[in-house]
Amino acid sequence: MGFEIPKISYNGAIKEIPLGKESNRITVGGETCYPFHLFEGNMPLPPKIAMEVYDATPEEWPQAALAPFADVVHDPAAWAQKCVASYGAEMIALQLASTDPNAQNTTAEQAVEATKKVAAAIEVPLIVWGCGNVEKDTEVLKRIAEECAGENLILGPVEEDTHKALGAAAIAYQHTIAASTPIDINLAKQLNILLGNLGVPDERIIVDPTVGGLGYGLEYCYSVMERDRMAALTQEDERLQFPILCNLAKEVWKVKEAKLSDEEAPLLGDSTKRGVLLEAMTALLFLLAGGDILIMRHPDAIQLVKGFINDLMGS
Amino acid sequence: MSKIICSAAIRGAHKIMERAEAKYEEAMGKWGPDQEIGFPNTAYYLPVIYGMLGVPVKKLGDVKDVLDRCRSLLPDMVDEHVWLPYLAPALEAGMATFFAEEIIEAIRYLESPDFYTKTEDPSNGNLWLGAADDVILRKRGVEFVDGTAPGFAAVLGAPPTEEIAVQLAQELQEKNLYVFMSADHEGRSMSEMLVKAGVQVGWGTRLVSFGPEYTATVFAAGFATRAAMSFGGVKPGDFKSILFYNKDRIFAFAMPLGTVTDEWYANAAGAINWGFPTISDTPIPEVLPTGICTYEHVVSNVPHDQLVARAIEVRGLKVTVAKVPIPVSYGPAFEGERVRKDDLFLECGGGKTRAVEWATTKDMDEVEDGKIELFGPDVDDVGEGARLPLAIVAEFAGRKMQDDFEPILERQIHHFVNYAQGLMHIGQRDIAWIRMAKAGASKGLKLKHIGDILHAKFHQDFGAIFDKVQVKLYTEEDKVKEILEKATEVYHQRDARIEGLTDETIDTYYSCTLCQSFAPNHVCIISPERTGLCGAYNWMDCKASYEINPTGPNQPVEKGETIDAKLGQWKGCNEFLYKASRQALDHYNFYSIVHDPMTTCGCCECIAAILPLCNGVMTVDRDYTGMTPCGMKFTTLAGTIGGGMSVPGFVGHGKYNLTQRKWIVGDGGIKRLVWMPKRFKEEAAERLKKMAEEVGIPDLPDMIADETVGTTEEEILAFLEEKGHPALTMDPLLE
Ligand code: SF4
Ligand code: SF4
Ligand SMILES: [Zn+2]
Ligand SMILES: [Zn+2]
Repeated sequence: MGFEIPKISYNGAIKEIPLGKESNRITVGGETCYPFHLFEGNMPLPPKIAMEVYDATPEEWPQAALAPFADVVHDPAAWAQKCVASYGAEMIALQLASTDPNAQNTTAEQAVEATKKVAAAIEVPLIVWGCGNVEKDTEVLKRIAEECAGENLILGPVEEDTHKALGAAAIAYQHTIAASTPIDINLAKQLNILLGNLGVPDERIIVDPTVGGLGYGLEYCYSVMERDRMAALTQEDERLQFPILCNLAKEVWKVKEAKLSDEEAPLLGDSTKRGVLLEAMTALLFLLAGGDILIMRHPDAIQLVKGFINDLMGS
Repeated sequence: MSKIICSAAIRGAHKIMERAEAKYEEAMGKWGPDQEIGFPNTAYYLPVIYGMLGVPVKKLGDVKDVLDRCRSLLPDMVDEHVWLPYLAPALEAGMATFFAEEIIEAIRYLESPDFYTKTEDPSNGNLWLGAADDVILRKRGVEFVDGTAPGFAAVLGAPPTEEIAVQLAQELQEKNLYVFMSADHEGRSMSEMLVKAGVQVGWGTRLVSFGPEYTATVFAAGFATRAAMSFGGVKPGDFKSILFYNKDRIFAFAMPLGTVTDEWYANAAGAINWGFPTISDTPIPEVLPTGICTYEHVVSNVPHDQLVARAIEVRGLKVTVAKVPIPVSYGPAFEGERVRKDDLFLECGGGKTRAVEWATTKDMDEVEDGKIELFGPDVDDVGEGARLPLAIVAEFAGRKMQDDFEPILERQIHHFVNYAQGLMHIGQRDIAWIRMAKAGASKGLKLKHIGDILHAKFHQDFGAIFDKVQVKLYTEEDKVKEILEKATEVYHQRDARIEGLTDETIDTYYSCTLCQSFAPNHVCIISPERTGLCGAYNWMDCKASYEINPTGPNQPVEKGETIDAKLGQWKGCNEFLYKASRQALDHYNFYSIVHDPMTTCGCCECIAAILPLCNGVMTVDRDYTGMTPCGMKFTTLAGTIGGGMSVPGFVGHGKYNLTQRKWIVGDGGIKRLVWMPKRFKEEAAERLKKMAEEVGIPDLPDMIADETVGTTEEEILAFLEEKGHPALTMDPLLE
């Protein structure tokens, strides 16, 4: 008698969500098994990596992260183009960090302008991420939704406090939403229910469970994502059957270990490699937990992770 | 439907239909069938026709088919002698009315291109805006979806005076409703009256002057129809979904002011199709039985000062209060704040004066939402350090309100009052105790503000289960005493009712899966006599929670066929458990600690464990940190079994559940209890005594050992033998 691998019987599937403009659709989701359990089910659409672009020249980035983009950091559109042309980015994530009232507090008009420029510069799907301030995000993302009608942007974070205003805008102007909740499966489910009640169609919802970087709470996020997938795939929890987005790069690169230079921390090894590996490890773990879209920064880290994805997909 | 309304609506529809046909013939003669026709800047053609029939009217020639459809929809005039009991013919007449009106208005755009401004606001001295274009629809429609505007009032005609017009408009604006205005009454229109009174009219102020004629009412129906197509993703022609979308989501109603003509009736009948009721100021026949609309269809003869309130009630519009209107900060952050003696300005209850809180249910017409009354002295009438008696009475009304919700709502008063900076609240019912700090009083905080807090918070958090709430506060000794007596009687009734609820008499239990965030397999199923192990959820709470949030963590579980009555196992519960535990468990017993007990998560109030030597069971609560006779402290026990597992020999339970009849009754019940912490025993003394009497061993409480007797099985066994504890002679716990 040969050995038989025990198999889980699934009864749910992750919804397929089409992203981007009609002319250049990328679809995510569709899993009928746990991440990469290809012996138990299907993952028809491999996870995608979106490359980050900032609306203002980043401050306090470690040299390692800055170097690949040094020539374009002042211009988000050029930056986005470089990501696509030089590094083969499958999507772009525009981080509207400068709109933060505690940072430069740039206006909604400026954010709209930046978004339009980036959108015009690329063909791949565009994620637009607010600063996380409830009032400001409502104002900024609502305006962007209006002014970029029909672009099918992925707008985030859409939280419980902003879900009505941003959900309505997404319906009216045809965008996708990243439903964001603070590392809690019940809250994630609740927000998806609320968005559904509001009338946001299922094919316009992506889940952002909120993530932390390696060594900074990653395990906790991992468990929540894992639970999310269990509920979706084995408990027929229809309101959790959405692809998951992990906005991880900004978490990874802000920590001390990623920032210390060779001189400051000679024992921690080469600083560039260190940052790249921290990002790649974080990304890999989130892939294993069920991530469908990873927002990443460093081209070398992305290269590594793409390799993992190919290996795990057996392609 | 009333025969008068029905026949009037059908008569009106015929008249409008004839007008449309005449207009069509005339236009055909002038322009021919290839002439383009439609409303300006829209992808929805003539929206009602497009939405209902799926027919895009692009050219004059396309109108012919629609008119034929109208004719076939239109019922014959009602014969005086025939009794017409059904709503259907009137509804069809109403639908035909809207089709005909769209045709009339579309031809108007052709005949007089400048009749309407085609802008957001009146311009060049022209007041009439006409149909909203798609830009306006998107911009304004978003507000219907995100709730900043719950709906609209379609006002036909005009009220008797300008003052009333202004007041009505203001009231509707305050409820964030759009006002869509059309038609005239005796030559005057609401739009014109508002302008005369100096009120700004236009989409910007939500006072939309659609047109001077009754036919412009169709722009309101068109707006609603497009909203369903553009925000509800409904396909043109899927008339059912469009009508349901509007009924469920757009809180609109028709408000005819003045003589209701046949044509108006026809429009009102049309609106009913969309689920929009009619509320009028004139004495027309009422149509109260509900069917299409959520509640009544036609309510009439309402005085002007009550029109808006009545409309909101009839349409079932939920009140939203965004902010708690009090002069101090408000939020959960202030819940833990204490008001100490030195900071004290005013005190009610706490043993020094009487204080009582009572949530009660009234009829709809007895409650005026948001009415706050205080009878007796308030902060300004007393000096620092004063004491007052206090009775807080929250009176609820609503179509979904049930007596069973009263205690749940009442319990919230504690949190809600505590959230206010400068107010401290302790206790509940007749042991309530409120303190106001000097800092609060100096900022203008009054006792009356408690009413504002409760009104706002009840709506915010519990709006799903009631429609209206008013609050009465009493600070006069005799009134407080009177309320106290009434309330006490109600408390007794409630307690008796809860006590009287048994698992046998209830078919639907409720699940709770809140703790799955941390204990993924854990599933609580809560029956009247098996309250949640965390102590936070009893059966009644879960039932209410389900009403408030039907997709939340508390779901009804039909218990189904009984598998084991003694141990408490039901087929329906098992099936639910299997799915909810992600196939980890396929059954458990409600009433046993030995045989497949319920799962336990880390937040249980108590954990029971068997003591084999004593042939009994001990229980330990979270507050007792010492060693127990099972060899483990509470924390070790919780760590061992608290991950959502079913562990024979151990079970988590609530404190209250210990003295419910069904506590491990499958294994012998309370008679098995041989040890519990002393403090817990004192706390539960009264109920424990009652249970002991019920099982026929009145001195059972004295036979139960505690830590003063011992914390090992050997130590307590001697005590049990000496007391003659019943467990020692019961059937062996472990076979
Ligand atoms: S322990 Fe309480 S909160 Fe947790 S699942 Fe059970 S009833 Fe719900
Ligand atoms: S034991 Fe307590 S803290 Fe740990 S997961 Fe369970 S409930 Fe949460
Ligand atoms: Zn729990
Ligand atoms: Zn817990």
